Amino acid sequence: MSGAFHRLTLAAALSLGAGLSSWGEEALPPKVARLFTKAESHWAYQPLADAPLPELTAAAESSVRDGIDRFILARLAAAGLSLSPEADRATYIRRVTLDLTGLPPSPEEVAAFVADPSDRAHERLVDRLLASPHYGERWGRHWLDLARYADSSGFHNDLDRPHAWKYRDYVIRSFNEDKPYGRFVAEQLAGDEVEGASEETLIATGFCRNGPSNDDNMGKTPAALAQYRADQLDDVISTASTVFLGVTIGCARCHDHKTDAFTARDYYSLLAIFNGTQKYGLVPGTEDAKGKKVPTDRAVQIQALVETSPQVPPTQVMRRGLASELGEEVPPAVPAVLARTVAPAPAFPAPAADAKTSGRRLALARWIASPDNALAWRVLANRVWQHHFGTGLVATPGDFGFTGEEPTHPELLDHLARHLVENGGRLKSLHKRIVLSATYRQSSAHREAAAAVDPANALLWRMNLRRMEAEVIRDGILAASGKLNRQPGGPGIKPRLRPDLIPASQRNKWPAIAQENDSHWRRSVYIYAKRQLLMPMLELFDAPTTTDSCAARAESVVPTQALVLMNDEFVEEQAGYLARRAVAEAGDDPERAVRRLLALALSAEPAGDRVDEARRFVEARTAETGDRLAALTDLAHVVYNSSDFLYIR
Amino acid sequence: MTAPATRRHFLQRAGAGFGTLALQSLLGGEGLLSARPPHVAPRAKAVIFLFMYGGPSHVDLFDPKPALTKWQGKPIPVWKTEDAFMGGKTKNVAMASPYRFAKHGQAGIDMAETFPQLARHADSLCVIRSMHAESNNHGPALFQMNTGFIQAGRPSMGSWVTYGLGSESANLPAFVVMLDHQGAPVNGALNWSNGFMPAAYQGVPFRGSGEPIAYLTPPKHIARDRQRARLDLLKRWNGEFAAAHPAESDLAARIESYELAFRMQMSATECTDLSREPEAVRRRYGLDEKVTSHFGRNCLLARRLVERGVRFVQLYSGGNEGPRAWDAHDDLKKNHDLHCAETDGPIAALLDDLKASGLLDTTLVVWGGEFGRSPVAENGKGRDHHPKGFTMWLAGGGIRGGLIHGATDEFGYAAVDRPVSVPDLHATLLHQLGLDHEALTYRHSGRDFRLTDVSGRVLTEILA
Repeated sequence: MSGAFHRLTLAAALSLGAGLSSWGEEALPPKVARLFTKAESHWAYQPLADAPLPELTAAAESSVRDGIDRFILARLAAAGLSLSPEADRATYIRRVTLDLTGLPPSPEEVAAFVADPSDRAHERLVDRLLASPHYGERWGRHWLDLARYADSSGFHNDLDRPHAWKYRDYVIRSFNEDKPYGRFVAEQLAGDEVEGASEETLIATGFCRNGPSNDDNMGKTPAALAQYRADQLDDVISTASTVFLGVTIGCARCHDHKTDAFTARDYYSLLAIFNGTQKYGLVPGTEDAKGKKVPTDRAVQIQALVETSPQVPPTQVMRRGLASELGEEVPPAVPAVLARTVAPAPAFPAPAADAKTSGRRLALARWIASPDNALAWRVLANRVWQHHFGTGLVATPGDFGFTGEEPTHPELLDHLARHLVENGGRLKSLHKRIVLSATYRQSSAHREAAAAVDPANALLWRMNLRRMEAEVIRDGILAASGKLNRQPGGPGIKPRLRPDLIPASQRNKWPAIAQENDSHWRRSVYIYAKRQLLMPMLELFDAPTTTDSCAARAESVVPTQALVLMNDEFVEEQAGYLARRAVAEAGDDPERAVRRLLALALSAEPAGDRVDEARRFVEARTAETGDRLAALTDLAHVVYNSSDFLYIR
Repeated sequence: MTAPATRRHFLQRAGAGFGTLALQSLLGGEGLLSARPPHVAPRAKAVIFLFMYGGPSHVDLFDPKPALTKWQGKPIPVWKTEDAFMGGKTKNVAMASPYRFAKHGQAGIDMAETFPQLARHADSLCVIRSMHAESNNHGPALFQMNTGFIQAGRPSMGSWVTYGLGSESANLPAFVVMLDHQGAPVNGALNWSNGFMPAAYQGVPFRGSGEPIAYLTPPKHIARDRQRARLDLLKRWNGEFAAAHPAESDLAARIESYELAFRMQMSATECTDLSREPEAVRRRYGLDEKVTSHFGRNCLLARRLVERGVRFVQLYSGGNEGPRAWDAHDDLKKNHDLHCAETDGPIAALLDDLKASGLLDTTLVVWGGEFGRSPVAENGKGRDHHPKGFTMWLAGGGIRGGLIHGATDEFGYAAVDRPVSVPDLHATLLHQLGLDHEALTYRHSGRDFRLTDVSGRVLTEILA
């Protein structure tokens, strides 16, 4: 079908004349010109500042563990605030382990860390976590949110994408390898053009294929197909521009951006960069360009976006976003305002005689990740900070434009971005600095006086309390029960759903499973993401809907979450396994079993009267039913539902 | 999803509607679902959207076209080859309706013989004959009718309404969806998705049999007193945790969410338990007859949900696709005979009850599909998808009854007189609920989105 697309656009371009009058920069409409002027002083478009580390008072000085802390402490001091005391070690290890790997530490890991007399104990812990293969599963998941990753097509038939998982595994591998960001960007946008192009880098272009598609059912007329191709490319450039640049240029598809300095011409110039691409790797069951059904064995075993010729058809502005209403022809270009303010425009030269592709996407990728591109590095640094603290220094991580939020700590943001540039775009050294900082190590405890000054904790006078993300909840339940299957990679798994949910999606059906087993108890990042039927356990806890890029998940509280944690067979069964595990490991003594159960779920025995209360609960339930294992299961079920389990202190 | 970065951030940016946080009900935590004042005086409190999925044929049900009989078997001048969705199967030959029409009520509303019971409500209906939509393909057309856009990813109208007004029910979800016995329409749950809004605003599928809400009941071996014992300890622990973190209102909301969930197990079960409905009611809704039992049950449930404060109820007639929906490609008469028979009595019974209780005054009932059907034949006796002109009707909720609004051309091909777009319909629906479609915005990805995007006009001429 991609071949058909190719021909179509050419035909459309040749048969329809240019309509929009052309205007150069000198003739910008006044409103656009005003926005261009505004852009010249917009914070996000300025070069990275190299501010000296702030000087602090002696009292504040003593809190410093990293240069990062100086920026935080300076702002706090100005507001008459200070950092909170350091969290205790048991709290810290649970926090940082969940943060870097998405899995809770075992009670033994906690005990060893708490008892470690070395002053390098924190650093050794962090080094171990960053080297864990679970790091990639955790931080790769953040990237998959941005990449609107799913295993099915959505739309009418919600077709299976049998090779989509290879992109998911590529992302996890890339994070584990600490791949330089520039390379990571280039592989995803131009995996067929990068040096050393391989199957791996073609898989990476799955980034451009993850969006919803309707390849087998978008009508049959040339007009419908031309519009569909435009819609599919829109998904690619809207996603890429918000993910890599924090700009919402998708808004300029139908008209000049209303609040940012992006014109429709910019949008179509960006589209021109991708306009020679074709979908590579056909989906079994769909029709190819000749209208034949694609048999499984003929389908290429990857899902990519590539060019097969250096010639790119001309690109024209589409008025109101309609492929049938073509305007002026535009050359490939990065958005004019960014070329003027952020980093000089890359050249898109005519391809050499022996070129296999146009080279346009590689030029774009290089421009994005060039050391000069302060915007792109700020966006990346902000994402790293966001996932460590719950909120970015810029609270709108996908929008660094005029209507996005301004950074709470602009110098710190630039400092972090510089660290990334200076370290080759590798993330792990930045993670290490952040999680070892005094800012990150503080307690999350409430302080009335500080809350009165800064109720939203924008200045970070304490660590944010955070609810586990959807996948972390499920993985944490499995880790505590001892049933987590740590096998990495491969096709998506389909855990049990209540059978009456399955008819909600008639196509590419979810299987009915009577009993779950080890093969279902893998990490949630490996769950098959079916667009028409997301796992309720994940969806209700704010996992993304996958239709477009998700830069920040909500943290909602709704009664249906309570229903699923209260009533889902999965939670019930795993509570049973946790109870049995506690008995198996602690022996017959009732109190020891209770202590072990709490420690397994919470990584350490809770303080205060919790143990006593739990013991009394189990005794009372046992007295009532005569079944101690059932009573321990009740306790395990309560713990899995508790805020102590679900919130990261 | 760029908004909201955090709940707090969301609330800061969500604008005027959230000025009344003090009033927040405990239902949704942070007041996501707390009842909120409307923009203007509302005429309706609830919507029942009877979604005839697949595309019911306007020229066979509400928009009689004698010209199709006259031109039967001949090409009509307005038809274009590219109008066909099914390519060559659909030929430019006019097809007369297999049904007889009659005028009903004092207003003389034209209705096909397939609606013998609905006919008695003719004077309550506002029949819009001039609807038009943008896509002749089920998936995108469903998206447009439900979310205003033909692309996936936008919040559905029920989500917009819940976002704008919050929930009136302390024990039930604000936005409920009920499916046909044939299963879900294409696009599945994306049709009632919250899109880029928080999950609190998504439609909750409610089943007419078995468990009404997913995960409403615990596994069979967990008795209610055992569950209560667990919840009592949980409530205590979650209370202690919340007390230790007084700045986090989510934690208090969590406690309440469990209590609500526990109550919902009773209230949703109570709501779906139709055993105490009198025999006469069961008979009127056709619960004991095979053809009407499923949709009849859903209509009766819709009434009960609205009585209990549910804001937006969407009922699908037709599921899956093809003949199981109103998608009459092959044999129009056979298809519409069935789907009309499944729905006529139940819809009439629903309107009877809403009238009797006075609820019709504050409940807007909407009937229609994602598009209409072609005036020309497909496969000889079927009709193809057709979005350029079709019919929907509204009743109650401050809409004028006994009115025919707009018209298609003589063949039923295109809306020509007072055309009504999907955004116009959405704007009117929001208006009746007291929401200004231009003011009801949600910030996402750098811009303020509206259900009606950049268009939409309230159809003031059909308001009572």
